[in-house]
Amino acid sequence: MGMDVGKFMKNPEYEIKLTTHRDIFQVEALEYDRFGDEYKKHSAVVVMGKDDMNKFGLKTGDRVRLMNSFGSIVVELRESKREEPGGLAFMVNSPWSNALVSDETGGRGIPEFKNINAKISRTKDEITTIESLIDR
Amino acid sequence: MVTCTGCALLCEDIEVVLENGGIKESRNACRRGAARFRGCKNRLAPSVDKKQTDIDTAIKKAAEILKNAKSLMLFGWSNSTCEAQAKGIQLAKKLNAAIDDTSSFCQGLLIERVLQKKFRTCSLEDVRNRADVLVYWGSDAQDSQPRHLSRFSVFPRGESRQRGYEEDRLAIAIDVRESNTAKICKGHFYRIPLKGDREFILALMEALVGKVPKYDAKRMLELAGIMKKAEFGVIFAGIGLTYSIKDDIDILVSLADMLPNFHVMPMVGHYNMRGFNEALFKETGFVNRVKFGVKPVHDNKYAVVEALKSKSIDALLITGSDPLSSLPRSILSHLASIPVICIDPCVTLTSKIAAVTIPAAASGLECGGSAVRMDGKVIEISKVVENSYLTDAQILTRLMEGL
Ligand code: SF4
Repeated sequence: MGMDVGKFMKNPEYEIKLTTHRDIFQVEALEYDRFGDEYKKHSAVVVMGKDDMNKFGLKTGDRVRLMNSFGSIVVELRESKREEPGGLAFMVNSPWSNALVSDETGGRGIPEFKNINAKISRTKDEITTIESLIDR
Repeated sequence: MVTCTGCALLCEDIEVVLENGGIKESRNACRRGAARFRGCKNRLAPSVDKKQTDIDTAIKKAAEILKNAKSLMLFGWSNSTCEAQAKGIQLAKKLNAAIDDTSSFCQGLLIERVLQKKFRTCSLEDVRNRADVLVYWGSDAQDSQPRHLSRFSVFPRGESRQRGYEEDRLAIAIDVRESNTAKICKGHFYRIPLKGDREFILALMEALVGKVPKYDAKRMLELAGIMKKAEFGVIFAGIGLTYSIKDDIDILVSLADMLPNFHVMPMVGHYNMRGFNEALFKETGFVNRVKFGVKPVHDNKYAVVEALKSKSIDALLITGSDPLSSLPRSILSHLASIPVICIDPCVTLTSKIAAVTIPAAASGLECGGSAVRMDGKVIEISKVVENSYLTDAQILTRLMEGL
């Protein structure tokens, strides 16, 4: 068997824009247990259009690192079930997405929760736990 | 029938089946509401410095923190009854503290304008009885206020809308994402780019005065035509719209001024956010971000986000909110360095780092009171199960007594 060259190569990074939304299944899980698996399953996820995934060579089920100067998280990648115009990925609003939100508010008290720039790359690391999001 | 506190629709038609003093089942609620009636898995216990203690010790320690703070903020409030909110405002006054709620980084900008009467608005009953054009703008009600479409807007019959969505009503979605609400607005979904709402409004304004808009001219003229012809239109302004135009929110006022048959309703998530905004507005003329002193002062520096970012507070009392979960991590480092008092029914991310935790009754389950629905109507909420938890209002009263 040949050597797994991928193991020694840094996974390529791509710039993406992220926006956030709400999800009734995630809210349901939040009501019950914000430390539970169900909440994590609905929150630690990024959804992307098929074309963007092809462009980046990523596939559903991949673990990806989302990173910017404010934070770094590992989440699961899923393909959008809808037609997407491309260039934009989606996360349900949660402590995971909030780890990437800028501290810049122009002094006006409202962060850009729905307007996040980050880099995405495939990773073998484990999905970020909620406990590690409390630690600082 | 009892009231659901799952969101600011405060549905009053919930039936609960009780068994052995607990709730066995709820009926009529949506998935979100049903989860609220099932309650949370991890109830908060009283603690001081992360060590479990009795409630009296926790309250005593909390009062001490409040007394010693020089720059205190009281925050949260959107998940508490009006009665508890009134106590919170009273406590802030007594302590010359700053007070802010979750609307500060949510729908405060719009609710403020509604209370200042800058928007024409209406009740949800008006929507059900009269509305013919329904615009969900940056709002995915299906996932956030899940019975909005079925109880009030798209699907029900109403006095002058006897034929419902099939003939009498038209639902439109304007959004960055094809949300579950947008899917229902088939054929009338306007997808906009991220942060594109302002440009969309400007183009719509051009179309409304008969100019050819620069942006998607054909569909924009079609939308302007529908909106002009509306007998009773409503823009359900969601958080997506608010965030996108937060630096120029009055552009929505200008648009509404061009549409005499339209009403604007901010879509509120937390069940009693509007209640807090109304109470503080009545007391001070502002909906949030106020510091009490000789007279109440409103300033952006009293926004919870700015206060944490600038590290300008030395203690924080939180009632019914989880800022560690809902705020950007990039501004939260200060939370770890000041004493935090957390009043909540459940264990939250914030309660894990709090200096003092005080368990409270869950409103709508373990205590009743009143709350303000997203359209401003006051709704009574009910106590469903007997229990020995103190209510938010009782805890705040005891804190005041302990000062
Ligand atoms: S729509 Fe809101 S108030 Fe009504 S049942 Fe669902 S969560 Fe409860």
